[in-house]
Amino acid sequence: MMHCTMEDLGALRAGEASVWARRHITTCAQCQAELEALYQRVAQLKALPALRPPRDRWPAIHAALRVERSRRRRTWGTWTGSLALAATITAVLLVQPGQQGTLYAELSQAKQQSATLEDSLQQYDIDGRVLSGHAAAVVAELEDRISILDGTLAQQQQSVQDAELVKLWQERVGLMRELVNARATRARYVGL
Amino acid sequence: MTVAFAVPDVLVARAQAGDEAALEALFRAFETPVYNLVRRMLRRPEDAEDVLQETFLEVVRNIKQYRGEGHLWGWIRRIASTKALMRIRRDQVRETESLDDEPGKPGMHIGANLDLERAFEHLSDTSRAVVWLHDVEGYTHEEIAEQMGKSVSFSKSQLARAHARLRRMLDEGAHA
Ligand SMILES: [Zn+2]
Repeated sequence: MMHCTMEDLGALRAGEASVWARRHITTCAQCQAELEALYQRVAQLKALPALRPPRDRWPAIHAALRVERSRRRRTWGTWTGSLALAATITAVLLVQPGQQGTLYAELSQAKQQSATLEDSLQQYDIDGRVLSGHAAAVVAELEDRISILDGTLAQQQQSVQDAELVKLWQERVGLMRELVNARATRARYVGL
Repeated sequence: MTVAFAVPDVLVARAQAGDEAALEALFRAFETPVYNLVRRMLRRPEDAEDVLQETFLEVVRNIKQYRGEGHLWGWIRRIASTKALMRIRRDQVRETESLDDEPGKPGMHIGANLDLERAFEHLSDTSRAVVWLHDVEGYTHEEIAEQMGKSVSFSKSQLARAHARLRRMLDEGAHA
């Protein structure tokens, strides 16, 4: 005997099932039980407790917002300066012998790369041109992630965890690279 | 979790004027529903946290554009689900697509007492997203298809396959 598929049951639930399925369900106890189980699962999913964020994310969002607000007065190209102060502070804190020296070198390198990428980005600053939906979404997401990272970096000035800081800066370089690539691809595409 | 989360209009107005305390109050009002939504959709908790941040960064950036049409929660929820879906898509491109077609994936033995919540977590991100958005949040297949950049029949068949898989996992769990 042929029974309802899960698609049939879903259609029954949505009130858009085939004539066959609507007729079958009235006579088949097995399919009635399956449909009931489907309703039960949905009810159980709806009743699941809300999962709460494990950490407070507001400080990072707030810091990102602050960085953005101050950046808005400048252009994309020159805002690197806003992080120059952070760089100076951390540089002072990090100039120490041994392992710290290596970290410092890594940190300077990451910052340098980041700055270089900012410069290349300026070349592709094609604001005013319409990006395709997908390209715009990719660029917007990368810019978001960089903003959030900058927020975190701005916060970290106070309590510097050296290795952590290097990691953050390296992550920033990675994101900047992706952003430059996304922009560059687009620039080629529009014939820049 | 289908409650309509309401906040006073005056709070929204203050947030739109750039008041940081009001922006934080909005974040406090919606951080759990947003996190819960994207955490249910995404496999990795840290991804859910990132999407929570990205969502609110966009909310605080664009709150001025919110004109009060529909519930604020509907507006925020759409930003959050779009971002979560984008992440799922990006990961799939990276991992060359791993849909949940793997019936009885080796190494994934599910013991007895498997409850629905855990079974749900065994679904692929795409399936979880479709189930959660459709069954819990009440999105239509048309809305899901549009947000995912897929067809309506894709959304429908994903939902059916996900339920078939849930049913199977719960059944195996009960008889193990
Ligand atoms: Zn039947």
